[in-house]
Amino acid sequence: MFGADPELRQIIGVTLRMSVLSTLISALIGIPWGVAMGANQFKGKAILSRITNTLMGLPPVVAGLIVFLILSRSGPLGKLSLLYSVPAMVIAQVVLISPIIAGMTSNIVSLRAPSINETCAGIGISGWKRLWLTIKECRIPFVTAVLAGFGRSIAEVGAVQMVGGNIQFKTRVMTTAIMMQTNMGRFELAVALGVVLLIISFVINSLVHRVQEQTQRDRTA
Amino acid sequence: MIVLRDVVQQFGGRIVLEIPELQFVPGKRYGLIGENGSGKTTLIRMLAGTSKPTSGRIEGLEGKKVGYLPQSPYAFSFSVLQNVALALNGHGDAKEIAQKALVAVGMESLMDARGDRLSGGEAQRMALARVLVRAYDVLLLDEPTSSTDVRSMDLIETTLKEYVQKTQCTLIFSTHSPAQALRLADEVLYLEKGRVVEQGLAETLFHSPQDERTKAFLRHWSLNS
Repeated sequence: MFGADPELRQIIGVTLRMSVLSTLISALIGIPWGVAMGANQFKGKAILSRITNTLMGLPPVVAGLIVFLILSRSGPLGKLSLLYSVPAMVIAQVVLISPIIAGMTSNIVSLRAPSINETCAGIGISGWKRLWLTIKECRIPFVTAVLAGFGRSIAEVGAVQMVGGNIQFKTRVMTTAIMMQTNMGRFELAVALGVVLLIISFVINSLVHRVQEQTQRDRTA
Repeated sequence: MIVLRDVVQQFGGRIVLEIPELQFVPGKRYGLIGENGSGKTTLIRMLAGTSKPTSGRIEGLEGKKVGYLPQSPYAFSFSVLQNVALALNGHGDAKEIAQKALVAVGMESLMDARGDRLSGGEAQRMALARVLVRAYDVLLLDEPTSSTDVRSMDLIETTLKEYVQKTQCTLIFSTHSPAQALRLADEVLYLEKGRVVEQGLAETLFHSPQDERTKAFLRHWSLNS
């Protein structure tokens, strides 16, 4: 069914392209942000942590509104004419997902960092080498954070609708298509897209579960 | 000489350590004993530099090579041998030195095992080997045998004695076992509620303690051991 419908193929393609790209960019921002918060004690850490936690729960429509205002013709980046394009959707997703990855990364790192820091201090390892060891020890749980970001990205609807516009053959993704098809009463297509989303979500959750199990085994074996 | 002057450590407004003055003579072995929460770990962490005193100062550690084994050392997810070689920081003979250190603590059969898959006692022995591959002026050990069995404890104590004799370092260690303090230390300090209640030569402190609190602690320990 999916192979025969070019629009459906296109919708799935745009969804995956947007989700993968936004997750990768968010990981590049969120992981260093989370490592910096989790591995170190510094002035302002408490407030940064509170801001990150607030941003983790940022309502998608608020993120959409912010990106919309920035990218709109009269906004600071209006000249780039990005509104109603996939890059605009990616930007909105990055605003939403980066804090989630950062928050999860920070939690992961803060569980191990105190013990790693004490141990390294005792054998004369400091600075970048200590930080590198911390990152290396947390690499598997980091995958969980990134996959959680991807799961959030692929299921997002409010922000991408606002800045993407749900334009056929351009910015229509699975979630916005489901919403539109439901409003039009075309439930078959909406259900089919819903099934695809559920399958992707199931695969991601299975991967997260597997990674968590592996980590648990490593720590308790 | 390591000297602590008017050192106070507070956590959340609560004083966890208060030492008006304390001296550690170079080359001597000091055992810290006391109940949980008596300040042993806090004192060792401050000497190691991983915790800063709220007020007061610690003198005599500038330019000194200080080795430190925390109470819960981290076991990295690579091999036991690599865990130990980590402390040698690219030294040419790192592998050979690490192997020797692991043999000394009875870990020769676990060299290729993953560090994070060791039992508590094994991880503690590995961590001790990791600290002992280098020569220090001051060696700080926070309950180095808390998770080990009796046989491993003997091995660790022998290894420690040899290390101290070879390097002539100042050894400061905490322990839950007064008997271990008697076996390893020249001088013993009894801590209670963040204060050094009594300090003296190991034999003297054990056989004729002066302070009532020290007497009570040792009496309680001898009844339960």
